[in-house]
Amino acid sequence: MKLRIGIHGLTSCYGCQLRMASVRELLEVAENFEIAYWYMVSSKGEISHVDIAFVEGSVSTAKDEEELKKIRENADVLVAVGSCAIYGGVQGMLFGKEYEEIFKEVYGDNKIEFEGRIGEPLKKYVKVDYNLPGCPPEEEEIIYYLATFAIGSYPEEKDYPVCTECRRKGYPCVLIEKNEPCLGPLTVAGCDARCPGYNVACIGCRGPLPHGIAWFDSLAKTFKEKGMSKEYIKARMEIFGKQYEKMDEMIEKVFEDED
Amino acid sequence: MKIEREIKNDHLARIEGKAGVVVEIGDEIRARINVTEGPRFFEILTKEKNYEEAAAICPRICSFCSIPHKLTPLEAIENALDVEVTEQTKLLRQMLYFGNMVESHALHLYLFAIPDYLGYHDALSMAKEYPDLMKNGMDLKNFGAMVQNIIGSREIHPENAVVGGFGKLPEQHEIEKIKKMAYNVIDAAVATVEFFLDYEYPSYVNLERNHLAIKPHNGYGVYGDEIVASDGFYFSVDKYKEYIEEDIAPYSFAKRGKYKGEPFMVGALSRIVNNHNLLEGKAKELLNSHSEFVKAENSFSNNFCQALEIVYFIEKIAEMAENIKIRKEERVKPDKKDGKGYAVTEAPRGLLIYEVEIENDIIKYMNVITPTAMFLPMMEIDARNMAEGMWKNGYKDIDLIGKKVEMVIRAYDPCISCSVHVIRL
Repeated sequence: MKLRIGIHGLTSCYGCQLRMASVRELLEVAENFEIAYWYMVSSKGEISHVDIAFVEGSVSTAKDEEELKKIRENADVLVAVGSCAIYGGVQGMLFGKEYEEIFKEVYGDNKIEFEGRIGEPLKKYVKVDYNLPGCPPEEEEIIYYLATFAIGSYPEEKDYPVCTECRRKGYPCVLIEKNEPCLGPLTVAGCDARCPGYNVACIGCRGPLPHGIAWFDSLAKTFKEKGMSKEYIKARMEIFGKQYEKMDEMIEKVFEDED
Repeated sequence: MKIEREIKNDHLARIEGKAGVVVEIGDEIRARINVTEGPRFFEILTKEKNYEEAAAICPRICSFCSIPHKLTPLEAIENALDVEVTEQTKLLRQMLYFGNMVESHALHLYLFAIPDYLGYHDALSMAKEYPDLMKNGMDLKNFGAMVQNIIGSREIHPENAVVGGFGKLPEQHEIEKIKKMAYNVIDAAVATVEFFLDYEYPSYVNLERNHLAIKPHNGYGVYGDEIVASDGFYFSVDKYKEYIEEDIAPYSFAKRGKYKGEPFMVGALSRIVNNHNLLEGKAKELLNSHSEFVKAENSFSNNFCQALEIVYFIEKIAEMAENIKIRKEERVKPDKKDGKGYAVTEAPRGLLIYEVEIENDIIKYMNVITPTAMFLPMMEIDARNMAEGMWKNGYKDIDLIGKKVEMVIRAYDPCISCSVHVIRL
């Protein structure tokens, strides 16, 4: 019997869903599943019971929370798709700030009848079974996750950094050889080190390594030795890592030691 | 007002982002587009960031137009810091941008719009009975994606485009591949135009309106410094705040654009209305043979114009690929650390404006006005007029009216995530 799946977007750029909708041979891939709901692609279906729900985006409104809870209640397995769903995404950078103040800065004294929030990852609200990282995820990973579920197995999440893939590719090290602020050492692999391959320092878009093994302190220390300021290091690392536990603390520590 | 009937859809399907529509039918007919997508405050996210980091954050505003949301801030930053990029960079950026146009239009037409025309809930079920049609759509989408992968490093959030140029230049053999593929998909593009010739536009949405588009630097291009309006007026992008204002409605996280105080339109139709003389090749021939399908007063025309543009941009990509000989060159590094800059480009959905202020390499101010925020009020008027026209002409099937209202909205190809990136007052 075909697996019943649902695909849904909370507040985001819709890039993860777009990546899913634009995989090669989408039509053949879709044949293997029964799609219960996918608003971005179909006007048929609504949030209902599924074997697996894929959710992209951060929880940034009360409506997002309501939808996410409904999806969770109706899904045997829930997969957080992409950096917004896993870590809050770039909008997650505002974590720690007051929503009301930011709202006022942008909308003034105007009132909007929907309730907004500072963007947070799915795990703050519901139990997440699997993470499918990326900004957006790679095509091969999307196929890998779908395929493992389809054969009754489960995907294995990567727990090693972009550097591993970069070394294997044999690219010159952007950090050591070019002194650029590459976040490869902190960032979960899966992209085949695309950006270092283009001579561009990794911005960390796939999010920090899971299981608390992203060592912001070690990398901050290396950056510091290369002459980068604390403000700059923080500003770069927080783009995709703000809601990683102890990120701020780890960076502060590097600078405190020397003060 | 006593509401007799109501059409309510909390979550419009087959659009980018989250929005709903409510139509109330009583003594008069009202419509509103509820934009429920959460705000993400990009102007605050980019503030106090180095300009390179800021330029990497901007594409996350929207995946469908992540190339415009990279190339436009790059241009604004380069203007602020007096960076003059090489001719080769300009050409490659145009190709990259055109690749995005092809992919975005193809996705919109085949995945979102055409299923309505043929009476399907989605492209997946439509593909079963129209496999050749769907193959055309996928071929066009794949071609656009390929151009973006080769030049931009990937089709969504292209990290290879950076201030002053590119991290890595494409290889000549990759450019050859683009050229070859362009010739392979041109027939699919022409077939897309021809698809729309079988359909008439509903006259209920006919309404005079202003169309704004860029005055391109060259050809029917996407780069320029001036904005032209169909009322004959034009202005330079640094004056955008004088002519384009935005207000706030309590039912929308997106701000809503007005040109000289009135709703207006941007996008493929607006570009054709203002710049049709600049079209060349097959696109020009097709336009000349079917000029009655370009109706400035009817937003359904936008789909036909998108199809026409796919033809133009593919031919243009082929032409550029034919002529370009990649030579090694370094990125241009800015000498300046401070400045104020503006940029306007034509994103798939219309004008996209960026303004930046940089102090000591740090972004102190950024403002973005997206096409969807600009056309929201006009889209709302057309949605209302569609409902009113049908109701007054005896249609009482609320579901049918609702479907047609959705078609009006889809014709605009709204990008809700873009519209709710949220800019400063």
